[in-house]
Amino acid sequence: MKIGEAVRVTGASVLVEGDMDRELGGAISGDLLSFIMAEAREGWLWITIQTHVNAAAVAVLKEVPFILAASGRMPDRTLVDRCSVEGITLATTPMSAFDAAGALREAGFPISS
Amino acid sequence: MGQEPYVEEYAIQAGDFSAIGEASTKFKATLKMLGIASDLVRRASVIAYESEMNALIHGGGGMLRMTVHDDHLVIEASDSGPGIPDVQLAMQEGYSTATDEIRELGFGAGMGLPNIQRNADAMEIDTEVGRGTRLRATVAFKQG
Ligand SMILES: Nc1ncnc2c1ncn2[C@@H]1O[C@H](COP(=O)(O)OP(=O)(O)O)[C@@H](O)[C@H]1O
Ligand SMILES: [Mg+2]
Repeated sequence: MKIGEAVRVTGASVLVEGDMDRELGGAISGDLLSFIMAEAREGWLWITIQTHVNAAAVAVLKEVPFILAASGRMPDRTLVDRCSVEGITLATTPMSAFDAAGALREAGFPISS
Repeated sequence: MGQEPYVEEYAIQAGDFSAIGEASTKFKATLKMLGIASDLVRRASVIAYESEMNALIHGGGGMLRMTVHDDHLVIEASDSGPGIPDVQLAMQEGYSTATDEIRELGFGAGMGLPNIQRNADAMEIDTEVGRGTRLRATVAFKQG
């Protein structure tokens, strides 16, 4: 699934538009940065309620092209700025991480691992 | 043999949580520029990030250094913080002395040292209570 479609399926508002045609190779959900550092793979979607600037460094280091803030969390200005510098798509969805994942799966998002 | 090693080093400023990952991100850019294989870059990135985080959160700031040799790279983090009283305990997955405030930011999962060990070919911790901590992790370029 492409980033643009994942945005539509989760009813997300885009704060930073990266490459919306980028194909997502998988997805991970979590709020512990070390867990994401350990488990995320290049090209994955990351669903989280973390909204501070540190999320950007994790995305850059793990080559995660799309951060989706869940439960209506509004990313900090500094995170928005960092993501636009790095070309990382950043969006926020009113859905919980659970419901966003469910919506993505229902729309055909493949199993990641 | 070979060329002079390439050295890059940054100060990790105490208290500036929003800067966590800045030095690691620069290391990553350098390794890509040097043409290091991407799986090795990813492993080095995890090591650098977790080391940087620990030096700042637990060590109260310090230094992060990367040395790139012909056939391996070394990431070193040093601080003059409180030291680690029981390294074996600190190495256990899930063990963390991070405060609730730090955990709310997503740090302090107790996975940092295990993540470093998993991604390094060798890892050493030199620590003394009241004096500080030095971590040294190596990634070899030859595989298998
Ligand atoms: N540089 C350091 N100085 C002092 N204590 C440290 C340092 N690095 C690690 N520690 C100790 O080891 C514990 C485990 O570290 P780590 O596995 O990275 O987990 P976390 O950082 O999430 O707590 C820390 O909570 C801390 O008590
Ligand atoms: Mg840590």
